[in-house]
Amino acid sequence: MSQINAYRRKFMAALSGIAAGGLASGVILRSVQANDVPAKPVDQPVSNKVRWGMLIDINRLTDGGASMVEACKREHGWGNDPKARPEQQAQWMRTVKVTDKLTKHSFTLPVMCQHCAEPPCVDVCPTGASMKRADGIVQVNKHICIGCRYCMMACPYKARSFVHENLTDQQPHSPRGIGTVESCNLCVHRIDKGQLPACVEAAPNAVIFGDLNDPNSRISQAMKALGGSQIRADLGLNTGVRYLGL
Amino acid sequence: MLALFAIALVGCDAGVPKSNLAPAKAKAAQCVEPTAEMRKNHMQYLLVHRDKTVIEGIRTTKHSLNECINCHIAPTREDGSAVHYADEKKDHFCASCHTYVGVKLDCFQCHADRPQVAGTINYQHKLSSNTYHLSAKGTQPNASDLLWLGNSQNQGVTQ
Repeated sequence: MSQINAYRRKFMAALSGIAAGGLASGVILRSVQANDVPAKPVDQPVSNKVRWGMLIDINRLTDGGASMVEACKREHGWGNDPKARPEQQAQWMRTVKVTDKLTKHSFTLPVMCQHCAEPPCVDVCPTGASMKRADGIVQVNKHICIGCRYCMMACPYKARSFVHENLTDQQPHSPRGIGTVESCNLCVHRIDKGQLPACVEAAPNAVIFGDLNDPNSRISQAMKALGGSQIRADLGLNTGVRYLGL
Repeated sequence: MLALFAIALVGCDAGVPKSNLAPAKAKAAQCVEPTAEMRKNHMQYLLVHRDKTVIEGIRTTKHSLNECINCHIAPTREDGSAVHYADEKKDHFCASCHTYVGVKLDCFQCHADRPQVAGTINYQHKLSSNTYHLSAKGTQPNASDLLWLGNSQNQGVTQ
C-alpha cells in the first residue's frame, strides 16, 4: 500500500511539474533583474526582515545546471585542489541526474546548500561554527570550525565538503582552507554588496533570486503563481532554494 | 659546567634572527590607526572585525584583513615570484615580524596572503552584455572564458 502511495505522490509531483513548466513562460517574464538584491549599507548588519531564496526552473536549465556549477567554481575557487583525489574534491554545488525507474524519464538538477530555515547542520555543530545568518543564509564560520564534520553527516542534501590539504592563492573574498568544512553561502560577499550570486548570473533565464519575506518580490510572486517544490520536503526543513519542474 | 652554560648562551645569541621592519615602517603613516596602537592591538581589531563580517555581514574596509593585504603586500617580488606568508625568505609583511617574535599565525591557511592578481579573475557577468555567457548555447566564447572552462567539460558529475 505504501508503495502505491509513494508512486502516486511521485506521479502527482511530476504532473504538477509539467503544468508549472507549461505555465511558466506565459505568466511571468523570467530573467534576472538588477534590483532583486537591494544594496545594504556596508556598515549595517543584516536583518531578519529579509530571507534570501532562490527558485530554479529545471525545464529552463538547458545544461542541467552545469554552467551554474562552473560559475560557482570560478567565484570561490574550489574543485581544483591539487592533492585531493576526485572523490575528495570540494563540491559546493553539483548536478544530480534523476531517473524514474518506471518511465525512464530523467532530468538533471543543480543541488547545493538549500539554506533551510531549520538547518540540521546548525543543530549538530558543537562549536556554533555552522550558523544561520539573520537573513537566512546558512554558512560555516570557519574561524571557529574545528573540522569535526558532524554537519556533513547531518546534511540531507550532501551539500558540505571538507578541505583536506593546504591551499594557497584563495580568492580574497572567499577564504577556504585546511581543516574546515565549507559549502554554498549564497555568495554572501556579493549579496552584501547588492549583487546576485554567481550561479544566478550564470543562468539568468532559469533562476529567480530574491527576498522570500517580501510578498511583492519577484520570487515571492513567482512562487505564489507557480509553486516551488523542496527536495525532501518530508523533512520539514523549509528550504530557501526551491525548484520548478521536479 | 660553567663552560657548558656559556656555550649554550652563545648558541642562543647566535640563533636570534634579524627582524625586518622596513615594509612596516614604509606604510606606517598611511595606516588606519596610529603606529603604536597597531603594533599592540592589530589582532584585536582583526578579531572584532571578522566576527562582525561573518556573523552580521558588516563589510566596512577600515579594519578588514583584505585591505591590510592590499596595502601592505605586493603580489609579486621584483623578480616576479609570488610572495607568500610561508616562504622561506620571510619577506611577507606579516611573516617579517611574526617569525621574529615567534608568534604563529594561521590566518593564511584560509585567507589569501597577497592581493588578487590579474590571472585569478573574478566572474563578473554584466547583465546587459552580449559577450559569452556560460549558459548561452549559440554565442562564441572568448579566449579568456575558454581558458577558465578548461578541461571541466565532464562537469556534470552525478551522485
